[in-house]
Amino acid sequence: MALKRKIKLTESELLTALEGRERIASEALYDMYSASLYGVIHRIIQSEEIAEDLLQDTFVKIWNSFPSFDSSKGRLFTWMVNIARNLAIDKIRSKEFRNQSKNQDIENSVNSIDTYKATFINPDTVGVKELVEKLKPEQKTILDLVYFKGYTHVEASEELGIPLGTVKTRLRMAILSLRGYFN
Amino acid sequence: MEDLKAYIESGVLELYVMGDLALTEQREVELMAAQHPEIKTELIQIEKSLESYAETNSIEPAEELRDNILAKMYNSSSSEAIVVPMSSTGSNNISFYKYGFAASLAFLFISLAALLIVYNRLQDSKQQLSQLQVANQTYASRVNLLDKQLGYSNVALTVLKDPGFTYIDLKGTAGAPKAKLLVAYNSDKKEVMIDLASMKMPANDTSHQYQLWAMVDGKPVDLGVFDSSTDSTGMIRMKAITNAQAFAVTLEPKGGSVNPSMDQMMAMGSV
Repeated sequence: MALKRKIKLTESELLTALEGRERIASEALYDMYSASLYGVIHRIIQSEEIAEDLLQDTFVKIWNSFPSFDSSKGRLFTWMVNIARNLAIDKIRSKEFRNQSKNQDIENSVNSIDTYKATFINPDTVGVKELVEKLKPEQKTILDLVYFKGYTHVEASEELGIPLGTVKTRLRMAILSLRGYFN
Repeated sequence: MEDLKAYIESGVLELYVMGDLALTEQREVELMAAQHPEIKTELIQIEKSLESYAETNSIEPAEELRDNILAKMYNSSSSEAIVVPMSSTGSNNISFYKYGFAASLAFLFISLAALLIVYNRLQDSKQQLSQLQVANQTYASRVNLLDKQLGYSNVALTVLKDPGFTYIDLKGTAGAPKAKLLVAYNSDKKEVMIDLASMKMPANDTSHQYQLWAMVDGKPVDLGVFDSSTDSTGMIRMKAITNAQAFAVTLEPKGGSVNPSMDQMMAMGSV
Protein backbone atom coordinates (compact mmCIF):
# COMPACT_ATOMS: atom_id res chain seq x y z
CA MET A 1 0.00 0.00 0.00
CA ALA A 2 2.62 2.50 1.06
CA LEU A 3 5.56 2.80 -1.28
CA LYS A 4 7.78 4.35 1.34
CA ARG A 5 9.72 1.93 3.48
CA LYS A 6 8.36 2.01 6.98
CA ILE A 7 10.51 2.01 10.04
CA LYS A 8 9.99 -0.88 12.40
CA LEU A 9 11.65 -1.45 15.74
CA THR A 10 11.19 -4.02 18.43
CA GLU A 11 9.18 -2.83 21.40
CA SER A 12 12.27 -2.54 23.63
CA GLU A 13 14.22 -0.65 20.95
CA LEU A 14 11.29 1.68 20.52
CA LEU A 15 10.97 2.31 24.25
CA THR A 16 14.68 3.15 24.56
CA ALA A 17 14.49 5.52 21.59
CA LEU A 18 11.36 7.15 22.99
CA GLU A 19 13.06 7.76 26.33
CA GLY A 20 15.92 9.47 24.50
CA ARG A 21 13.35 11.45 22.47
CA GLU A 22 15.17 10.42 19.31
CA ARG A 23 13.74 11.39 15.98
CA ILE A 24 13.68 7.80 14.83
CA ALA A 25 11.41 6.99 17.77
CA SER A 26 8.68 9.34 16.55
CA GLU A 27 8.95 8.00 13.00
CA ALA A 28 8.85 4.37 14.13
CA LEU A 29 5.95 5.16 16.44
CA TYR A 30 4.03 6.65 13.55
CA ASP A 31 4.90 3.96 11.02
CA MET A 32 4.13 1.11 13.37
CA TYR A 33 0.93 2.36 14.97
CA SER A 34 -0.70 5.14 12.92
CA ALA A 35 -2.94 2.75 10.94
CA SER A 36 -4.16 0.87 14.01
CA LEU A 37 -4.79 4.08 15.97
CA TYR A 38 -6.44 5.76 13.00
CA GLY A 39 -8.70 2.71 12.64
CA VAL A 40 -9.83 3.10 16.24
CA ILE A 41 -10.35 6.87 15.91
CA HIS A 42 -12.16 6.57 12.59
CA ARG A 43 -14.57 4.06 14.08
CA ILE A 44 -15.60 6.66 16.66
CA ILE A 45 -15.48 9.76 14.44
CA GLN A 46 -16.69 9.27 10.90
CA SER A 47 -15.52 12.66 9.66
CA GLU A 48 -12.17 12.12 7.98
CA GLU A 49 -11.06 15.69 8.68
CA ILE A 50 -11.75 15.50 12.40
CA ALA A 51 -10.33 11.99 12.64
CA GLU A 52 -7.11 13.21 11.05
CA ASP A 53 -6.91 16.11 13.52
CA LEU A 54 -7.45 13.66 16.34
CA LEU A 55 -4.74 11.34 15.05
CA GLN A 56 -2.38 14.31 15.19
CA ASP A 57 -3.51 15.22 18.73
CA THR A 58 -3.04 11.61 19.73
CA PHE A 59 0.55 11.42 18.54
CA VAL A 60 1.41 14.79 20.06
CA LYS A 61 -0.01 13.64 23.37
CA ILE A 62 1.78 10.28 23.20
CA TRP A 63 5.04 12.04 22.42
CA ASN A 64 4.71 14.60 25.21
CA SER A 65 3.31 12.37 27.93
CA PHE A 66 5.57 9.43 27.23
CA PRO A 67 7.45 10.05 30.53
CA SER A 68 4.26 9.08 32.37
CA PHE A 69 4.07 5.73 30.57
CA ASP A 70 4.85 2.85 32.95
CA SER A 71 5.84 -0.30 31.07
CA SER A 72 5.37 -2.41 34.20
CA LYS A 73 1.64 -1.70 34.06
CA GLY A 74 1.05 -2.69 30.48
CA ARG A 75 2.09 -2.67 26.87
CA LEU A 76 2.81 0.50 24.96
CA PHE A 77 0.00 -0.08 22.47
CA THR A 78 -2.58 -0.54 25.22
CA TRP A 79 -1.54 2.82 26.68
CA MET A 80 -1.61 4.52 23.25
CA VAL A 81 -4.96 3.13 22.18
CA ASN A 82 -6.48 4.37 25.43
CA ILE A 83 -5.16 7.88 24.69
CA ALA A 84 -6.58 7.78 21.16
CA ARG A 85 -9.93 6.42 22.29
CA ASN A 86 -10.28 8.96 25.12
CA LEU A 87 -9.45 11.91 22.84
CA ALA A 88 -11.96 10.71 20.26
CA ILE A 89 -14.67 10.15 22.85
CA ASP A 90 -14.04 13.55 24.46
CA LYS A 91 -14.41 15.03 21.00
CA ILE A 92 -17.61 13.24 20.08
CA ARG A 93 -19.17 14.18 23.41
CA SER A 94 -18.08 17.84 23.16
CA LYS A 95 -20.68 20.51 22.59
CA GLU A 96 -18.72 21.81 19.62
CA PHE A 97 -18.87 18.46 17.87
CA ARG A 98 -22.56 17.94 18.56
CA ASN A 99 -23.44 21.39 17.18
CA GLN A 100 -21.18 20.87 14.23
CA SER A 101 -22.48 17.61 12.94
CA LYS A 102 -26.00 17.40 14.39
CA ASN A 103 -24.79 13.89 14.26
CA GLN A 104 -26.31 10.55 14.71
CA ASP A 105 -26.30 9.31 18.25
CA ILE A 106 -23.44 7.13 19.30
CA GLU A 107 -25.71 4.10 19.44
CA ASN A 108 -26.94 4.65 15.90
CA SER A 109 -23.47 4.85 14.53
CA VAL A 110 -22.50 1.40 15.76
CA ASN A 111 -24.42 -0.39 13.08
CA SER A 112 -23.75 2.09 10.31
CA ILE A 113 -20.03 1.94 10.97
CA ASP A 114 -19.82 -1.79 10.69
CA THR A 115 -21.30 -1.78 7.22
CA TYR A 116 -19.52 1.40 6.19
CA LYS A 117 -16.16 0.33 7.47
CA ALA A 118 -16.26 -3.14 6.02
CA THR A 119 -14.45 -1.88 2.94
CA PHE A 120 -11.81 -0.17 5.04
CA ILE A 121 -10.59 -3.29 6.82
CA ASN A 122 -6.88 -3.53 6.28
CA PRO A 123 -6.34 -5.78 3.26
CA ASP A 124 -2.79 -6.48 4.42
CA THR A 125 -4.27 -8.56 7.18
CA VAL A 126 -5.16 -12.00 5.93
CA GLY A 127 -7.90 -14.18 7.24
CA VAL A 128 -10.33 -11.43 8.15
CA LYS A 129 -13.13 -13.66 7.08
CA GLU A 130 -12.09 -16.48 9.35
CA LEU A 131 -11.78 -14.06 12.23
CA VAL A 132 -15.27 -12.76 11.69
CA GLU A 133 -16.52 -16.31 11.51
CA LYS A 134 -14.75 -17.24 14.70
CA LEU A 135 -16.20 -14.29 16.64
CA LYS A 136 -19.87 -14.80 17.39
CA PRO A 137 -21.99 -11.81 16.39
CA GLU A 138 -22.95 -11.02 20.00
CA GLN A 139 -19.27 -11.19 20.97
CA LYS A 140 -18.26 -8.89 18.16
CA THR A 141 -21.00 -6.42 19.06
CA ILE A 142 -19.99 -6.14 22.70
CA LEU A 143 -16.27 -6.08 21.90
CA ASP A 144 -16.68 -3.29 19.35
CA LEU A 145 -18.95 -1.34 21.62
CA VAL A 146 -16.47 -1.34 24.52
CA TYR A 147 -13.12 -1.50 22.74
CA PHE A 148 -13.80 0.73 19.77
CA LYS A 149 -16.71 2.92 20.86
CA GLY A 150 -15.54 3.54 24.39
CA TYR A 151 -18.69 2.32 26.13
CA THR A 152 -18.17 1.29 29.71
CA HIS A 153 -19.39 -2.22 30.44
CA VAL A 154 -22.20 -0.61 32.49
CA GLU A 155 -23.30 1.49 29.52
CA ALA A 156 -23.01 -1.52 27.23
CA SER A 157 -25.24 -3.56 29.53
CA GLU A 158 -27.87 -0.82 29.43
CA GLU A 159 -27.53 -0.39 25.71
CA LEU A 160 -27.90 -4.07 24.92
CA GLY A 161 -30.33 -4.81 27.73
CA ILE A 162 -28.23 -7.64 29.17
CA PRO A 163 -26.95 -8.11 32.75
CA LEU A 164 -23.51 -6.80 33.74
CA GLY A 165 -22.22 -10.31 34.40
CA THR A 166 -23.19 -11.38 30.90
CA VAL A 167 -21.39 -8.36 29.45
CA LYS A 168 -18.22 -9.31 31.27
CA THR A 169 -18.46 -12.95 30.27
CA ARG A 170 -19.12 -12.16 26.64
CA LEU A 171 -16.20 -9.75 26.57
CA ARG A 172 -13.92 -12.37 28.01
CA MET A 173 -15.19 -14.97 25.55
CA ALA A 174 -14.68 -12.58 22.67
CA ILE A 175 -11.11 -11.91 23.68
CA LEU A 176 -10.47 -15.59 24.22
CA SER A 177 -11.67 -16.18 20.66
CA LEU A 178 -9.24 -13.55 19.47
CA ARG A 179 -6.42 -15.18 21.41
CA GLY A 180 -7.26 -18.51 19.93
CA TYR A 181 -7.29 -16.98 16.49
CA PHE A 182 -4.14 -14.86 16.69
CA ASN A 183 -1.87 -17.23 18.62
CA MET B 1 -4.76 -21.03 42.94
CA GLU B 2 -8.47 -21.50 42.56
CA ASP B 3 -8.90 -17.89 43.66
CA LEU B 4 -6.54 -16.71 40.93
CA LYS B 5 -8.43 -18.69 38.30
CA ALA B 6 -11.72 -17.18 39.45
CA TYR B 7 -10.14 -13.75 39.42
CA ILE B 8 -8.90 -14.24 35.87
CA GLU B 9 -12.24 -15.58 34.72
CA SER B 10 -14.22 -12.75 36.31
CA GLY B 11 -13.38 -10.63 33.27
CA VAL B 12 -11.86 -7.81 35.34
CA LEU B 13 -8.53 -8.11 33.50
CA GLU B 14 -10.21 -7.49 30.16
CA LEU B 15 -11.90 -4.41 31.56
CA TYR B 16 -8.55 -3.26 32.94
CA VAL B 17 -6.90 -3.51 29.54
CA MET B 18 -9.77 -1.64 27.90
CA GLY B 19 -9.48 1.20 30.42
CA ASP B 20 -12.92 0.49 31.88
CA LEU B 21 -12.12 0.28 35.60
CA ALA B 22 -12.29 2.76 38.45
CA LEU B 23 -8.98 3.90 39.90
CA THR B 24 -9.17 1.66 43.00
CA GLU B 25 -9.93 -1.43 40.88
CA GLN B 26 -7.02 -0.53 38.59
CA ARG B 27 -4.66 -0.38 41.59
CA GLU B 28 -5.95 -3.79 42.69
CA VAL B 29 -5.27 -5.35 39.28
CA GLU B 30 -1.79 -3.81 39.18
CA LEU B 31 -1.07 -5.16 42.65
CA MET B 32 -2.28 -8.62 41.70
CA ALA B 33 -0.23 -8.58 38.51
CA ALA B 34 2.91 -7.62 40.43
CA GLN B 35 2.38 -10.48 42.90
CA HIS B 36 1.20 -13.21 40.50
CA PRO B 37 3.07 -13.89 37.26
CA GLU B 38 0.04 -15.85 35.98
CA ILE B 39 -2.04 -12.71 36.06
CA LYS B 40 0.72 -10.69 34.43
CA THR B 41 0.92 -13.29 31.64
CA GLU B 42 -2.84 -13.29 31.26
CA LEU B 43 -2.87 -9.48 30.97
CA ILE B 44 -0.19 -9.55 28.29
CA GLN B 45 -2.16 -12.17 26.36
CA ILE B 46 -5.28 -10.01 26.48
CA GLU B 47 -3.31 -6.93 25.40
CA LYS B 48 -1.73 -8.74 22.50
CA SER B 49 -5.04 -10.10 21.24
CA LEU B 50 -6.66 -6.69 21.35
CA GLU B 51 -3.60 -5.18 19.69
CA SER B 52 -3.95 -7.72 16.87
CA TYR B 53 -7.65 -7.04 16.67
CA ALA B 54 -6.97 -3.32 16.33
CA GLU B 55 -4.41 -4.11 13.65
CA THR B 56 -6.99 -6.13 11.77
CA ASN B 57 -9.26 -3.11 11.84
CA SER B 58 -6.54 -0.63 10.99
CA ILE B 59 -7.03 2.10 8.40
CA GLU B 60 -4.07 3.58 6.61
CA PRO B 61 -4.16 7.39 7.13
CA ALA B 62 -3.45 9.70 4.18
CA GLU B 63 0.25 9.72 3.36
CA GLU B 64 0.72 13.48 3.51
CA LEU B 65 -0.37 13.37 7.14
CA ARG B 66 2.88 11.68 8.21
CA ASP B 67 5.19 14.67 7.79
CA ASN B 68 2.67 17.09 9.31
CA ILE B 69 2.17 14.99 12.39
CA LEU B 70 5.88 14.29 12.86
CA ALA B 71 6.58 18.04 12.58
CA LYS B 72 3.84 18.78 15.13
CA MET B 73 5.28 16.22 17.54
CA TYR B 74 8.66 17.97 17.48
CA ASN B 75 7.32 21.48 17.65
CA SER B 76 4.89 20.68 20.42
CA SER B 77 7.64 20.13 22.99
CA SER B 78 8.97 23.68 22.65
CA SER B 79 5.79 25.47 21.63
CA GLU B 80 4.12 25.25 25.04
CA ALA B 81 6.66 27.60 26.61
CA ILE B 82 6.16 30.13 23.83
CA VAL B 83 2.38 30.08 23.67
CA VAL B 84 1.83 31.55 27.13
CA PRO B 85 3.80 34.81 26.77
CA MET B 86 2.49 35.24 23.23
CA SER B 87 -1.11 35.02 24.31
CA SER B 88 -0.51 37.49 27.16
CA THR B 89 1.17 40.05 24.90
CA GLY B 90 -1.63 39.42 22.44
CA SER B 91 -4.25 40.35 25.00
CA ASN B 92 -2.19 43.37 26.05
CA ASN B 93 -2.07 44.47 22.46
CA ILE B 94 -5.78 43.98 22.11
CA SER B 95 -6.52 46.08 25.18
CA PHE B 96 -4.02 48.69 24.00
CA TYR B 97 -5.79 48.90 20.65
CA LYS B 98 -9.15 48.90 22.41
CA TYR B 99 -8.23 51.91 24.53
CA GLY B 100 -6.43 53.54 21.64
CA PHE B 101 -9.51 53.18 19.50
CA ALA B 102 -11.78 54.58 22.22
CA ALA B 103 -9.43 57.54 22.73
CA SER B 104 -9.29 58.23 19.00
CA LEU B 105 -13.05 58.13 18.80
CA ALA B 106 -13.42 60.56 21.73
CA PHE B 107 -10.84 62.88 20.19
CA LEU B 108 -12.70 62.75 16.88
CA PHE B 109 -15.98 63.78 18.52
CA ILE B 110 -14.33 66.63 20.43
CA SER B 111 -12.66 67.84 17.23
CA LEU B 112 -15.95 67.72 15.34
CA ALA B 113 -17.72 69.69 18.08
CA ALA B 114 -14.95 72.30 18.13
CA LEU B 115 -15.05 72.53 14.36
CA LEU B 116 -18.81 73.12 14.44
CA ILE B 117 -18.46 75.94 17.01
CA VAL B 118 -15.69 77.62 15.04
CA TYR B 119 -17.68 77.28 11.82
CA ASN B 120 -20.74 78.94 13.42
CA ARG B 121 -18.61 81.80 14.72
CA LEU B 122 -17.08 82.26 11.29
CA GLN B 123 -20.53 82.49 9.75
CA ASP B 124 -21.54 85.13 12.36
CA SER B 125 -18.40 87.12 11.62
CA LYS B 126 -19.02 87.00 7.87
CA GLN B 127 -22.56 88.25 8.36
CA GLN B 128 -21.41 91.08 10.60
CA LEU B 129 -18.70 91.99 8.11
CA SER B 130 -21.13 92.23 5.20
CA GLN B 131 -23.51 94.32 7.33
CA LEU B 132 -20.63 96.67 8.15
CA GLN B 133 -19.65 96.87 4.50
CA VAL B 134 -23.20 97.84 3.55
CA ALA B 135 -23.28 100.48 6.29
CA ASN B 136 -19.88 101.73 5.19
CA GLN B 137 -21.04 102.08 1.58
CA THR B 138 -24.14 103.94 2.71
CA TYR B 139 -21.97 106.37 4.66
CA ALA B 140 -19.53 106.75 1.80
CA SER B 141 -22.24 107.60 -0.72
CA ARG B 142 -23.85 109.93 1.79
CA VAL B 143 -20.48 111.64 2.29
CA ASN B 144 -20.06 111.91 -1.48
CA LEU B 145 -23.47 113.48 -1.84
CA LEU B 146 -22.83 115.93 0.97
CA ASP B 147 -19.41 116.76 -0.44
CA LYS B 148 -20.93 117.45 -3.85
CA GLN B 149 -23.67 119.58 -2.32
CA LEU B 150 -21.04 121.39 -0.25
CA GLY B 151 -19.13 122.13 -3.47
CA TYR B 152 -22.26 123.59 -5.09
CA SER B 153 -23.03 125.59 -1.96
CA ASN B 154 -19.50 127.01 -1.87
CA VAL B 155 -19.71 128.10 -5.53
CA ALA B 156 -23.14 129.64 -4.92
CA LEU B 157 -21.81 131.32 -1.79
CA THR B 158 -18.79 132.76 -3.68
CA VAL B 159 -21.11 134.14 -6.33
CA LEU B 160 -23.53 135.57 -3.80
CA LYS B 161 -20.75 137.19 -1.72
CA ASP B 162 -19.22 138.84 -4.80
CA PRO B 163 -20.66 142.40 -5.14
CA GLY B 164 -19.67 142.49 -8.86
CA PHE B 165 -22.47 140.11 -9.78
CA THR B 166 -25.82 141.25 -10.92
CA TYR B 167 -28.79 138.91 -11.08
CA ILE B 168 -31.04 138.68 -14.02
CA ASP B 169 -34.33 136.79 -13.87
CA LEU B 170 -35.11 135.25 -17.23
CA LYS B 171 -38.85 134.99 -17.59
CA GLY B 172 -40.92 132.64 -19.66
CA THR B 173 -42.04 133.57 -23.12
CA ALA B 174 -45.43 132.87 -24.68
CA GLY B 175 -44.16 129.37 -25.67
CA ALA B 176 -43.23 128.48 -22.08
CA PRO B 177 -44.92 130.87 -19.70
CA LYS B 178 -43.78 129.10 -16.52
CA ALA B 179 -40.11 128.97 -17.50
CA LYS B 180 -37.68 130.73 -15.17
CA LEU B 181 -33.89 130.97 -14.95
CA LEU B 182 -31.59 133.01 -12.70
CA VAL B 183 -28.43 134.29 -14.40
CA ALA B 184 -25.60 135.84 -12.37
CA TYR B 185 -23.48 138.20 -14.46
CA ASN B 186 -20.23 139.93 -13.57
CA SER B 187 -19.42 142.31 -16.37
CA ASP B 188 -16.00 143.24 -14.92
CA LYS B 189 -14.80 139.64 -14.69
CA LYS B 190 -16.84 138.59 -17.75
CA GLU B 191 -18.35 135.75 -15.75
CA VAL B 192 -21.75 134.20 -16.38
CA MET B 193 -23.27 131.66 -14.01
CA ILE B 194 -26.69 130.05 -14.09
CA ASP B 195 -28.44 128.66 -11.02
CA LEU B 196 -29.75 125.17 -11.80
CA ALA B 197 -31.27 124.79 -8.34
CA SER B 198 -33.80 127.55 -8.81
CA MET B 199 -34.28 126.89 -12.54
CA LYS B 200 -37.77 126.14 -13.74
CA MET B 201 -37.52 124.96 -17.29
CA PRO B 202 -39.44 122.06 -18.89
CA ALA B 203 -37.21 118.93 -18.98
CA ASN B 204 -35.49 118.53 -22.35
CA ASP B 205 -35.32 115.22 -24.23
CA THR B 206 -32.06 113.50 -25.19
CA SER B 207 -31.90 114.96 -28.72
CA HIS B 208 -32.29 118.59 -27.55
CA GLN B 209 -30.49 120.92 -25.15
CA TYR B 210 -31.09 124.38 -23.87
CA GLN B 211 -28.72 127.04 -25.16
CA LEU B 212 -27.97 130.35 -23.39
CA TRP B 213 -27.49 133.42 -25.52
CA ALA B 214 -26.27 136.93 -24.70
CA MET B 215 -27.56 139.91 -26.68
CA VAL B 216 -24.61 142.21 -27.49
CA ASP B 217 -25.50 145.24 -29.54
CA GLY B 218 -28.61 143.49 -30.87
CA LYS B 219 -26.76 140.29 -31.91
CA PRO B 220 -27.05 136.90 -30.15
CA VAL B 221 -23.77 135.43 -28.82
CA ASP B 222 -23.58 131.75 -27.85
CA LEU B 223 -22.82 131.15 -24.14
CA GLY B 224 -23.06 127.32 -24.09
CA VAL B 225 -25.63 124.63 -23.58
CA PHE B 226 -27.18 123.05 -20.50
CA ASP B 227 -29.72 120.40 -19.56
CA SER B 228 -32.78 120.63 -17.41
CA SER B 229 -33.87 117.73 -15.30
CA THR B 230 -35.66 117.39 -11.96
CA ASP B 231 -32.47 116.64 -10.00
CA SER B 232 -30.40 119.51 -11.44
CA THR B 233 -28.58 121.32 -8.67
CA GLY B 234 -25.86 123.92 -8.06
CA MET B 235 -24.54 126.73 -10.20
CA ILE B 236 -22.62 126.19 -13.42
CA ARG B 237 -20.28 128.55 -15.22
CA MET B 238 -21.08 129.48 -18.79
CA LYS B 239 -18.84 131.12 -21.46
CA ALA B 240 -17.38 134.55 -20.72
CA ILE B 241 -18.95 137.65 -22.22
CA THR B 242 -18.69 141.48 -21.90
CA ASN B 243 -21.24 144.06 -22.75
CA ALA B 244 -24.23 141.81 -22.55
CA GLN B 245 -27.44 143.75 -22.57
CA ALA B 246 -29.82 140.80 -22.34
CA PHE B 247 -29.85 136.99 -21.97
CA ALA B 248 -32.09 134.45 -23.63
CA VAL B 249 -32.63 130.69 -23.66
CA THR B 250 -33.68 128.69 -26.72
CA LEU B 251 -34.24 124.97 -27.18
CA GLU B 252 -31.78 123.72 -29.80
CA PRO B 253 -30.71 120.36 -31.24
CA LYS B 254 -28.20 118.61 -28.96
CA GLY B 255 -24.83 120.37 -28.93
CA GLY B 256 -26.33 123.79 -29.74
CA SER B 257 -26.69 125.89 -32.88
CA VAL B 258 -24.66 128.76 -34.38
CA ASN B 259 -27.72 130.97 -34.54
CA PRO B 260 -30.65 130.79 -32.16
CA SER B 261 -33.94 129.35 -33.38
CA MET B 262 -36.12 132.31 -32.52
CA ASP B 263 -39.34 130.29 -32.60
CA GLN B 264 -37.88 128.11 -29.81
CA MET B 265 -37.26 131.04 -27.45
CA MET B 266 -38.10 129.77 -23.96
CA ALA B 267 -37.08 132.61 -21.64
CA MET B 268 -35.37 135.94 -21.69
CA GLY B 269 -34.48 138.98 -19.53
CA SER B 270 -32.56 142.22 -19.76
CA VAL B 271 -29.59 143.25 -17.63
